[in-house]
Amino acid sequence: MFGLFLDWARPHAALIVFAAPLAGAALAVLAPMARLAWLIAAVCAIAAAVVALDFAARGLSGGGGDGAGLFATALVACCAAAALVGAGALLTDWGPRAGRYALALALCVGAGWSGALLAPDLVGVFLAAETAWLASVALVALSGERDRGALNGALGMLGAGGVASALFVLGIGLIGRGVGTLQLAALPAVQIAMPGLAATGVGLVLAALALKAGVAPLHVWVGAAYGRAGGFASLVLGAVGAVGALAALVRVAAFAIPAPAIGAGVAMSLAGLGAASVVVGSLQAIGASNLRRLAAYAGAAQAGAVLISAALGSMAGFAAALVQLFAMAAVAIVLLGGGAALGGVQALHLLNGLGRRAPFTAAAISLGGLSLMGAPLTIGFLGRWRLIEAGVGAGWWWAAGAAIAASLAGVFYCGRLIERLYVRRAAAAFTGGDNPWRLALAPALLAGVGAIGLGLAPDGLLRAAAAAAAQLWDGAP
Amino acid sequence: MAPDGILLAGAVALLMAGAVTAWTSANVTKRIAALALAQIGALAGLSALGAPSAASVAGIVAAFAQLTLGVALIVRLQETYNSVEAPELDAADALSESQSQNKLGDA
Repeated sequence: MFGLFLDWARPHAALIVFAAPLAGAALAVLAPMARLAWLIAAVCAIAAAVVALDFAARGLSGGGGDGAGLFATALVACCAAAALVGAGALLTDWGPRAGRYALALALCVGAGWSGALLAPDLVGVFLAAETAWLASVALVALSGERDRGALNGALGMLGAGGVASALFVLGIGLIGRGVGTLQLAALPAVQIAMPGLAATGVGLVLAALALKAGVAPLHVWVGAAYGRAGGFASLVLGAVGAVGALAALVRVAAFAIPAPAIGAGVAMSLAGLGAASVVVGSLQAIGASNLRRLAAYAGAAQAGAVLISAALGSMAGFAAALVQLFAMAAVAIVLLGGGAALGGVQALHLLNGLGRRAPFTAAAISLGGLSLMGAPLTIGFLGRWRLIEAGVGAGWWWAAGAAIAASLAGVFYCGRLIERLYVRRAAAAFTGGDNPWRLALAPALLAGVGAIGLGLAPDGLLRAAAAAAAQLWDGAP
Repeated sequence: MAPDGILLAGAVALLMAGAVTAWTSANVTKRIAALALAQIGALAGLSALGAPSAASVAGIVAAFAQLTLGVALIVRLQETYNSVEAPELDAADALSESQSQNKLGDA
């Protein structure tokens, strides 16, 4: 049965990864009951994830493909599937009608970013990214059913995303004029007639994607959106939206940096933005008083490390970027999924003593925190170590310093979080969800265990990241 | 300067004016209108640069979708806050956030 499905899906894998969630979204809206809508959404998201994983495995074992796109598509599709499986327990965030729309919008977010990672040209990337972004804005706005502050968060997202969209459109025009083509695969090999125009265009496209990924200091929308959106919306925003946008950014950079006429400028811009994101994101995470905002700002710091890795412009650098992208997705699912399982309790001071009241949730959050610190034997450590290796190999000692600084900041804010969970005593009665078998907790626990398991046995992940990075160089001059 | 260059400079100026207004205006309706202005600037830039029509159509579709969502948000904000002035929305959010944290803490 499973084999038959894969045999049928393989010839149209790219289309299915994009279209299955969109079809699921339409069916979920039409479903007569919220539970049925969730079942449809979960099945479609899982089907898309299975096809994406198979597509990536086949593509990465061959040569000459779009390695970064294949790797990241599988990652985004799996994150979307995890979020939608957990959504079954979070439907109470909305009424029955709004719940169906929330599921449909979450599927559109996953489909959009998967499409952006598979699109062969910049127009396709733009359209798919806009689909995902506008679905994210609508999903956050839908949380306004319970907390009107979410509407204000959605407004901030719409404003920032609208400016990013205008910059992206202008960037497409500049790249088209400067390079003569909008095909991504042609960028490394084509003779660029007007490098100034092309570099400006690539810079605008990367800035637009960085803004949507929540890379600091362009993350003006992050605090209000994560802080006031519901549990499910913030999980989708962090684990699917931010990871998808960052992956799309890395993919575009992977095609632009090997281009001789513009590569150096693009790499330096990315490195500068990455360093700023590590510093600003870490400082904001240290000052955060809310679990969702802490996850968002820590995500900005991790995104900075991903950008620095990509800016190195080497195979080792891109492999490190992909491993860190994986680690970032795992931590987002753990922290935001664990936070969603806690219901309305998000202020850090209300998490005191959570280890005794909700041990499974506290364990999941702790595992994510350890990975975020870059503790040995976690996937976070592996990602940071790969960045240090690649940075030292390229002579960028400061990149190694940035990775260490991000880890030290992580030790501070995650150490404080873990200390709250297990050492401090609660001063008030706990009002959040504490049922260890809540479905909402399943993705967080799985991702937490995965963050440790892949840190202990990382061979498969490292091979996939190395194969994806190696494919990028097949098309380079 | 060539006519295309003048058009491009005007388009970029329009885009920047729209972007700055969208970020700084206190009134939400003005913000959404400024976003539309920024999109028009970007589309004019595409024309000046001779981009393929597929890119222009994609830009128009995205701009229309943003505008639609923006108008829906203005309506919902007016319904729930009785205001579309950003400082008033921020003040109401700050107040409700501190109240809800106090409530959870007391519980």
